Amino acid sequence: MHKHRLDRPYVPYMFLMPALLASVVIVLVPIVYAISLSFMNYNLARPSEIGFVGIANYRNVWRDEVFLISFRNTFVWILGVILLQLILGFITAIILNMHFRFRGVIRAMILIPWVTPSVITGLLWRWMYDGNSGVINDLLVRARIIDRFVPWLAQSSTAMIAIMVALMWQGFPFFAIMILAGLQAIQQELYEVADVDGATTWQKFAKITFPLLLPILLTTILLRTIWVANSLDIIFIMTGGGPGYNSYTLALYSYIKAYRGLDFGYAGAIAVYLTLLILVVVIIYVIRITKKDESIQ
Amino acid sequence: MKRTVVVFVILMIFISGQVFARGAQEPQEQVVRFWYHLDDPETSLNPLIQKFETENPGIRIEAERVPWDAYYQRLVTAVAANSAPDVAQVKLWWQPQLVEMGAILPLDEYIANWPARNDIIPRVWDLTRHSDGRQYYMPLQMVILYMYYRVDMFEELELSIPTNREEFLDVAKALTRDTTGDGQIDTYGFGIRGGRGGHDYWGSFVLSSGAEFFDSNGNVNLDNQRAIESNQWFIDLFREHNVSPPSTPNDGFREVIDNMLNGTTAMTIHHIGSAAQMHAAFGNRISAFPVPQGSTGAWTSFGDEQNAVFAGAEHPEAAFKWAAFLAEAENNALWQKSSGQVSINISNAGLDHGELSRFYDATNESAAFAGVLPAHPATAEFVESVWPAQMQRAFLGEITSARMMQSFAEHFNR
Repeated sequence: MHKHRLDRPYVPYMFLMPALLASVVIVLVPIVYAISLSFMNYNLARPSEIGFVGIANYRNVWRDEVFLISFRNTFVWILGVILLQLILGFITAIILNMHFRFRGVIRAMILIPWVTPSVITGLLWRWMYDGNSGVINDLLVRARIIDRFVPWLAQSSTAMIAIMVALMWQGFPFFAIMILAGLQAIQQELYEVADVDGATTWQKFAKITFPLLLPILLTTILLRTIWVANSLDIIFIMTGGGPGYNSYTLALYSYIKAYRGLDFGYAGAIAVYLTLLILVVVIIYVIRITKKDESIQ
Repeated sequence: MKRTVVVFVILMIFISGQVFARGAQEPQEQVVRFWYHLDDPETSLNPLIQKFETENPGIRIEAERVPWDAYYQRLVTAVAANSAPDVAQVKLWWQPQLVEMGAILPLDEYIANWPARNDIIPRVWDLTRHSDGRQYYMPLQMVILYMYYRVDMFEELELSIPTNREEFLDVAKALTRDTTGDGQIDTYGFGIRGGRGGHDYWGSFVLSSGAEFFDSNGNVNLDNQRAIESNQWFIDLFREHNVSPPSTPNDGFREVIDNMLNGTTAMTIHHIGSAAQMHAAFGNRISAFPVPQGSTGAWTSFGDEQNAVFAGAEHPEAAFKWAAFLAEAENNALWQKSSGQVSINISNAGLDHGELSRFYDATNESAAFAGVLPAHPATAEFVESVWPAQMQRAFLGEITSARMMQSFAEHFNR
C-alpha cells in the first residue's frame, strides 16, 4: 500500500512555506535593508554625500549626547512602565477574580484602554495633563493636593513619569487579562487543602498562587518588554521627546533621526543597537517557549 | 474540470474585450497627481479642480491632502522611492535639497510663455529663485507673521503698542497679572511656542538683535556675543520675567492659539491664518501689530509656499499648467479662501478683506522686514528637531544661552 501523500516529511514545510515567504518579504528584507543603511552615510537632506562609511555610525553614536540620554531613558522607560503595568494589572486581576455583580461587564470594560489607539491615548492624556486647562490639574487643585497648575509635560522632573502613567493606563489590561487567566487555571482544591492545613492568606499566595502564576508572569513581562521598548507613538504625541531630550528613548531617537532629520544611516545604527538590546529579551523568551514545548512533548 | 477551464477562458476573453474597448473609446487622459495641505479640514479643493478640468479637457487632477505634520518627510521619502507626486506644495528652504536630489524641474521656459507671469509680486519671484539663477518654484501663497494682541487688556491697563524689545517687555510684564485676586497669575503677557515650530517666535527677537544664520561671507554667525545676549533676553522672557505660561517649553501651535482664545495670554505671534478664528472669538477686542524692533533692526518670518513640478512627472506640461492655474489671480484668490493666507498676485492686493482688514494691514506693514530661513540642507533638521530640543533645554535651564547658540552654529557648520 502506498504511503499517503500527506505523510511525506516535506509536507509540513510546504504548508509553512506561504507564511515563511511572507515573513521573509515583510520582515527579513526590511531588516537587512535597514542594517545595510546603518553602514552608510544615507542622509536625504544631503543626497550628494550618500555612500558607504563602514562602522562610523556605530562609533559616532557613543560620542552623541542625545544617544546616551536616550540609552539611559530607554532603561528607565522599560523598567518604569513594566513595573507600573504589572502592579496595576496584578491588583486588577485579583479583583476581577473575585465574585461580584456585573463582573462580566467590568471584565469587558477593563479592555477599553488596551483597544484604544495609541494616538488617541496620547492626545487624551496630553489634554488631561495640560498645564493651563487640564482636568488633572483642576482636580488636584480642587482637592488641595497642589496649589497651582503644574505643567506636567513641560518639566524635566515630571514629563517622563507622566508619559509612563499614560502608558501604564493603556497597557495594564494586558497584564490583568493574562494574570486573570493564570489565576483561573489554578485548581481550587489546592486552596481547600491549604485551608484544611491552616494556611494563612499570605502563605496561600506565597506557596500556591505566586509559584503557579510565575510562568505566565514571566512570559507576559518578556512580551511587554519587547513592545514597550519599541513603542514611541505615545511619547511622540505627548511630548515629541521633550522637554529638551528628557523623554527621548532609543526608538524615538531613531524615528526622529530618520523622519525629522532624514538621516537614515545614523537612524539605522541606533535601531540596530536597540534591536541588540531587545534581542537579549527575545532570546530569553524563545528559550522559555522552547523548553515549555519540549516539556509538553 | 474541462467545463471550468472553458468558463474561465470565456470570462478572460470578455474582460480583456471590455478593457480594450474602453481603451479604444477614451482619448488619452493626462493625470496630474497633486499633493497639498490646508490647515482647515473643512475646506475643499474640488471647485478649483473642477474649474481647471473644465478649462483644460484631457487633464485630470488627482489631489491628495497630506497632513502638514508629516508632509516634508513623506515628500522627501517619496522622492527617494521614485514615487513623488507630479506637483506638490513646497517650502522655500526645501529647495536646495530638492534641486540637489534632481527631484524638481526648472520652470523658466514654461514661465517665459506664461501670460500671467507679470501679475506675481516681484519680491516673491526674487525670494523664490534658486541660487543657480533658475526658477524651480511656482508661487502660491504667502503669510507674514505679526503680533496678535488683546485690545481690551491694553486699554484697561492704558498700554501703548510696543515698537521695540524694551517696550515689549514692559508691556508683557504689565499684562502678566492675577485678575481674580486669588494670588495666582492667570493672564500672561506673551504666549511663546516653545515646541516645534516656535523658531518663528525666537527669530523675531533674536534674528533682529545680532544673530544671523550666515554673514555676508557665508560663515555661520549664530554664536557671536550679541547673538548669545539676545538669545538670553528671549530665554529670560520665560525664565526670569515669567511673562509666558509655565507650559511654554512644551507648547505647540494648538496650545498657543488656545491660550490666546481662552484669555490665558494677551499677546502671541501668528499669521493671517488665525485671523478669522481670533475675530470670531473676540471681535474688535483683538487686533494686530508688527513684531517689535530688535537692537539691530526688525525680523519676522515670511511664511512662503509654492508649487514645484517634479522630475518624474509623466506629463510635465500638464503639471505646469495646474501649478500656473493656481497662481493666476482669480484662482489664487479662490485658493486663499481655503488656505486663509495671502495671495501672491498684484491684482489681488487691493481686495477688500472687510472685518479682517486690520490683520491684513499688519501683514502688509511687516512685509518690509520679513525674512526666510536659509536655503540650506541643515535647515530642515534645525526646524524639525534641533531648535525645539535646544530651546526647551534652555527654557528649563539645562543649557546656557551660549551653549544653545553654539549647538546651532555646530549644526549649520557640520
